[in-house]
Amino acid sequence: MSDLLKPILLVEDNPKDLELTLVALEKTQLANQVITLRDGAEALDYLFRRGQYATRAEGNPAVILLDLKLPKVDGLQVLERIKEDAALRSTPVVMLTSSREEKDLIRSYNLGVNAYVVKPVGFGEFIEAISDLGIFWAVLNEPPPGSMRPRR
Amino acid sequence: MTPVRDAIAAALNQCEREPIHIPGSIQPHGALLACRHPDLIIEHASVNAADYFMMPLNRILGARLEDLFRSDAGHIRLALNNEQLDAKPAWLMSIALPGSSSPAWQMIAHRREDLAIIELEQAVDAANVGFSSVYPLVTRFMSDLAPARSIDELNSIAAREIRQITGFDRVLIYRFDSDWHGSVVAEDRNEELPSYLDLRFPASDIPAQAREMYRRNRLRLIPDAAYSPVPITPELNPRTGQPLDLTYSVLRSVSPVHVRYMKNMGTGASMSISILRDGQLWGLVSCHNKTPRRVSFEVRNACDIIAQAFSAQIAAGEHRADAETRIRLKSTESRLLRHMAEQDTFLDGLTKNQEDLLACTGADGAAILFESECRLVGMTPSEPQVRELAAWLDREHADAGVFQSECLSEIYPAALEFAASGSGVIAASISSLHDSYIMWFRPEVLMTVKWGGDPRKPTEPDGQVLNPRNSFEIWKQTVRLHSRPWSAAEIDSARDLREAIVRIVLRTAEETAQLSGELARSNQELEAFSYSVSHDLRAPFRHIAGFAELLRERESDRLSETGKRYLGTIIESAQFAGRLVDNLLSFSQIGRASLQFSPVNTATLVAEIRSQLALDSADRDIEWRIGDLPSVRADLFMLRLVFQNLLSNAIKYTRPREKAVIEIGSERGDRETIFHVRDNGVGFDIQYASKLFGIFQRLHRMEDFEGTGIGLANVRRIVTRHGGRTWAEGEVNRGAAFYFTLPDSPEAAARESRAREKGPVEQIP
Repeated sequence: MSDLLKPILLVEDNPKDLELTLVALEKTQLANQVITLRDGAEALDYLFRRGQYATRAEGNPAVILLDLKLPKVDGLQVLERIKEDAALRSTPVVMLTSSREEKDLIRSYNLGVNAYVVKPVGFGEFIEAISDLGIFWAVLNEPPPGSMRPRR
Repeated sequence: MTPVRDAIAAALNQCEREPIHIPGSIQPHGALLACRHPDLIIEHASVNAADYFMMPLNRILGARLEDLFRSDAGHIRLALNNEQLDAKPAWLMSIALPGSSSPAWQMIAHRREDLAIIELEQAVDAANVGFSSVYPLVTRFMSDLAPARSIDELNSIAAREIRQITGFDRVLIYRFDSDWHGSVVAEDRNEELPSYLDLRFPASDIPAQAREMYRRNRLRLIPDAAYSPVPITPELNPRTGQPLDLTYSVLRSVSPVHVRYMKNMGTGASMSISILRDGQLWGLVSCHNKTPRRVSFEVRNACDIIAQAFSAQIAAGEHRADAETRIRLKSTESRLLRHMAEQDTFLDGLTKNQEDLLACTGADGAAILFESECRLVGMTPSEPQVRELAAWLDREHADAGVFQSECLSEIYPAALEFAASGSGVIAASISSLHDSYIMWFRPEVLMTVKWGGDPRKPTEPDGQVLNPRNSFEIWKQTVRLHSRPWSAAEIDSARDLREAIVRIVLRTAEETAQLSGELARSNQELEAFSYSVSHDLRAPFRHIAGFAELLRERESDRLSETGKRYLGTIIESAQFAGRLVDNLLSFSQIGRASLQFSPVNTATLVAEIRSQLALDSADRDIEWRIGDLPSVRADLFMLRLVFQNLLSNAIKYTRPREKAVIEIGSERGDRETIFHVRDNGVGFDIQYASKLFGIFQRLHRMEDFEGTGIGLANVRRIVTRHGGRTWAEGEVNRGAAFYFTLPDSPEAAARESRAREKGPVEQIP
């Protein structure tokens, strides 16, 4: 049944953050599969089904958790490409980042980000933030057209 | 135009049109013959010649000169060939005339175009000074002039000497200004005639064609103002059809207007000698006698020599005076420059040395407008008038580095209102960006006239138009709203000072530009730094905290109690470090974010913050005393941070009290509101008051009171950006009080505070 759920896409280059985020997601006990990608280029390959992901099954993720600072193609560029694409535009994107810098925030919103989370230093708060996000976007949010309604 | 000005214009016009060089008549103390040169056939004669030569006029006209002078004719013919006689009358000889009882006639002749004009003048009585006594006087005059220093001294000496030589009752030195108005600058007289010293005359009194004649023929004599003119016949030359040109004649009959003026002045005789400087009319030596008086040709010549020697001295004296003035102005200017260098701003340098500032152009008042500042020195128009004038200059005369006028109201009617202080102005523009000026002012000249005698006393019968009293009135009308003119040296001095200031302003502007460039660069570096702190420093703290938490969660059963405590400390420290970084970033954001001013109801704001904070202090007994909290203009978000910080501090530092008392209120200051938050908490040692508002400054141990030490730094930063001040009062264990002010118009104050902000400056009232 879990195969029918859209996956959660996590794009994070820092292995420590990746591990912590995965632990946090694990704690939310969501049934969605979590696909991890390590840089912006890989994320775009996945989303546009090209390169090593050319053969993956069709369908967009339930939510994309996107780190702001990524190697090769950075988070804001990935966000821009997503919001430019008609098929991807409605997939919710949450920026995960260390940055509190105003200009990143403003740029993200200008590019149409759905949510923005400054990763808290405290692990407890981090878990809370991630699970809130996961539940909101993967479970409670009405899936955008083009993605399947989750069935449990 | 006013009626008076109409009258002046009419009078001037009429006078200027009068052909005074061809009056067609001479004065009766001599006779005139004009013959064709070189054949010396007489073409014009004054009608009295018939009597003197005992010959009917029709025989004189057409006769040869030899027919009249017989034995002397050869000498006369020879003399008339001398080219020096061209436009310059010379004495030829003494002669007796058949029809005259007078023993000797003086023959004076000159050439004018193709005519030789011979004038015969009755010799002056022996009682009058002769040439033999003139010579020593001239020599003495020359030696008197040599040591004379000032122009004033020269004037007085000339008046005195000429009176001695000529014996007139009164001798005046009359000087023209640049507009041809005249003033009496020196006088020597006896009691026969009143003093005219300092009397002013309008330019119309000596009109242009008279001045031109005075320039060419330097001496005029009217021995008897009551004379009847003797006509010259024929009126027009039979060959040329032209009237006889008497420009250089010594007997020329003067304008009836002039004669009337003399009579009205109460003078029976007059003589005037032109003083030329560099070929231009500088002034006149004007001699008057109450009764008719003759002056011999020799004495007149001596006076002319004296006048020309005097004018050479005047030229030298004026050059010297000009040089001295320039040196004086230059040294004033360099003193001002030194003052400017010593003071923080050139403004202070100028205004703290008011005398030098005024002396720099010989002004009575000065104004300095720079950026928004306006400083007035001495007698000036009001500040609003000065500002308006600057705005006008900026619109109309933006190109002129130095603008000057001695009658500002002529081109700027608003100046009528301040003629008494600013009829004359020099305005030096000292910035091309905004209307910044140094202005010097001079009052209307009428205010500055000093009187020697009292010529305003009505000594003349009423109803006469032509008299000095009226001249003075006309002059007053003409110079009304004029100031004393600015000399070239004074204008140059203003120009020099302007250049020096512009250099200073430019240098300051360049330095400022360089500084702000450096500031912008370091701000950028700082931003880049905070960004990397945000990203790079925060992540490892998060990792330390995160993995330590994971360790505690998943492996804690394998750790000893000590190990668990260590782990707890690691987590706590990492979290604290993360908070420090967060606070540092928010502090820098408060400094950079732009402020949005709007009316803020502080009573509502405080109530809102209190209810928010109540959640965390539900277990505490707090008595809130809320005083007057008005509405102010502020950035709502920022002001909320201020109250949040102060209120949560008050709650925090009253924690040891069983019952906390927190008082919030305000009072009115000078164009500002002074807020305070007072508590009965642990207080602080007043000697550390200055540290309170510094970033990361803490006065308490961490285990007593938590915190990163950023709250009050934020408070100060926000208040400063609103143009306000912050300070604190307190005593250990006796509570603390925090004050901050918000100006009524924070926009302007904030601009200023940003302009002068040089870092956190302690501000205790």
